Amino acid sequence: MTALSDTTVAIAPPTHQRLLIGDDASIAAHTWRYGPLPQVPGDLIQRMVKDAGLTGRGGAGFPTYRKVEAVAAGRDPVVVANGAEGEPASSKDRVLLRYGPHLVLDGLVLAARAVGAAETHVYVPVEAAADVHAALADRRDPITITVHVATDAFIAGEESAVVSAVNGGLPAPRDKIVRVVDQGVGGRPTLVQNVETLAHLALIVRYGPDWFRTQGTTAEPGTFLATVSGVVADPGVCEMPYGVRIGDLIDATGGATEPVQALLVGGYHGGWIPPDPDIAFSRAGLERYGATPGAGIVFVLAADECGLATTAHLLGYLAGQTAGQCGPCFNGLPRMADTFASLAELGTPPSLAGEVERLARLVTGRGACKHPDGTVRLARSGLGMFGSEIAAHRAGWCTARSGGRR
Amino acid sequence: MTDAAWYAARGAGVVSLALLTIVMVLGIGSRSGRPVFGLPRFGASLVHRNASLIAVVLIAIHVLSLLADPYAQLRLVDVIVPFDAAYRTAWVGFGTAALDLIVALVVTSLLRRRIGQRAWRAIHWLAYAAWPVAWLHGIGAGTDRSSGWYLAVAVISVIVVVAAVVWRCSDTFGTVGGRRMERRVNDAIAAAQRPPPTTYPGRTR
Repeated sequence: MTALSDTTVAIAPPTHQRLLIGDDASIAAHTWRYGPLPQVPGDLIQRMVKDAGLTGRGGAGFPTYRKVEAVAAGRDPVVVANGAEGEPASSKDRVLLRYGPHLVLDGLVLAARAVGAAETHVYVPVEAAADVHAALADRRDPITITVHVATDAFIAGEESAVVSAVNGGLPAPRDKIVRVVDQGVGGRPTLVQNVETLAHLALIVRYGPDWFRTQGTTAEPGTFLATVSGVVADPGVCEMPYGVRIGDLIDATGGATEPVQALLVGGYHGGWIPPDPDIAFSRAGLERYGATPGAGIVFVLAADECGLATTAHLLGYLAGQTAGQCGPCFNGLPRMADTFASLAELGTPPSLAGEVERLARLVTGRGACKHPDGTVRLARSGLGMFGSEIAAHRAGWCTARSGGRR
Repeated sequence: MTDAAWYAARGAGVVSLALLTIVMVLGIGSRSGRPVFGLPRFGASLVHRNASLIAVVLIAIHVLSLLADPYAQLRLVDVIVPFDAAYRTAWVGFGTAALDLIVALVVTSLLRRRIGQRAWRAIHWLAYAAWPVAWLHGIGAGTDRSSGWYLAVAVISVIVVVAAVVWRCSDTFGTVGGRRMERRVNDAIAAAQRPPPTTYPGRTR
């Protein structure tokens, strides 16, 4: 294996499959695939990230270079690799840390160089911590890397919650009076990046922004890791370019095993879209459905499952995941989830949909983080997508459960 | 005309005391994340803040009208440097000291986000010094100090503020309806045990 790591010359850059190539996570396999860590100065890394158009892969899709530039402008900054992945429908960070931990750590080292940081942190769930420790044992990095175990909670991966956890506090989001890029870990400027974003960054610095843009669309370049679940033959993680037909994405995980009623994209904070295989999986393609690619999540809902009941179930989960810090979230989300659950029952009074909407307006924009807003997005999407079902349920009838026939 | 300044100063002074008492009681009684005196928590902090700003305006009227008043013989330096006034040196000095403290409290509160929560909180403890000093100034320096109605206002103010302090220091302050108030964070987050972090120090090749 050591012989392999020395022969790093004539390896062509990867094309379609970039992050997930083979299941050997060793440093030797990593160096054989991608070559050694490139010696590129920090300001050039910044420029490459900007030219590549890299966006955050944690769900929000924020342009990475803007955070990098803001943090680089501050004194004595810190970089945090965020692999908490509290989203139950996502497992791509977990898979990436299992099969490509050195790509993530390369990205962390390069991001630290880009902003001039000497101190970095890795924040991952307990199952991924062993993979990170194993990878770090085989590396010699010029920066300090501290591994933190993340709490298994939906909001534990929110940027300010990550900072709070790394600071030794509870992984609960904080108010956004000061930005994390100004004052984060130890009150210092902090760059928090999703682990997949860092892996892409490691490849952009190796192969250049133009190479990065050979996949994806002009507006949304690059590939992303998707997690497909629900009624598909081989649920799991696959790597696809932005703009991919959603049908091709589902086929990559074996295709649907049953007639499909709807797709939940983006995650539990995402939105429902119709099962049209020609919809492009990109910000632009999903916009008209009020959805975004989020963290690359697709959940395939079978035709014989009740969309209202499924949405109510997800809302119930999200309501239980409030940090309990903000009143509108703590009080409003359980109420909204309960109302939605009543909506999913048969023979319900007609005022419930209006009540969900009223509660949605009450909680939107009133949390320290976007948990209430994301939960509202799912609720509204459910009302829109399964609107005709509401009337059917009111009349004592569920289309999905009765096989779509009268 | 000269009498007008005198009356304005007295009136503004008395109302300032009443306002500062309200500010004190709301400040003492408020604690983050709970209602106080039937006001929701944002209401308590809004009234606390607005009453203190109105008090500052009234104190400004109080001081400016005394500067304009020939009997008071107040020099500009007496507004800033305490215990140097010609008239009732000690009692006027308390007023000057209180003014300095209140200016410090208001300025640091307006700059709270800039100076940081910890520095602001440390300085805000000065409120417990500012109010008694202002009260002493009123009881000693004022024209109305011997009138019954003023004494009534002064005594009621003391009773209310002392009662608020006693309540704050008591065991019942931290409870609502007999239940102790605690920082409520979702159990899934608060109870979760996390192993300590592991650090890999930086090593050069």
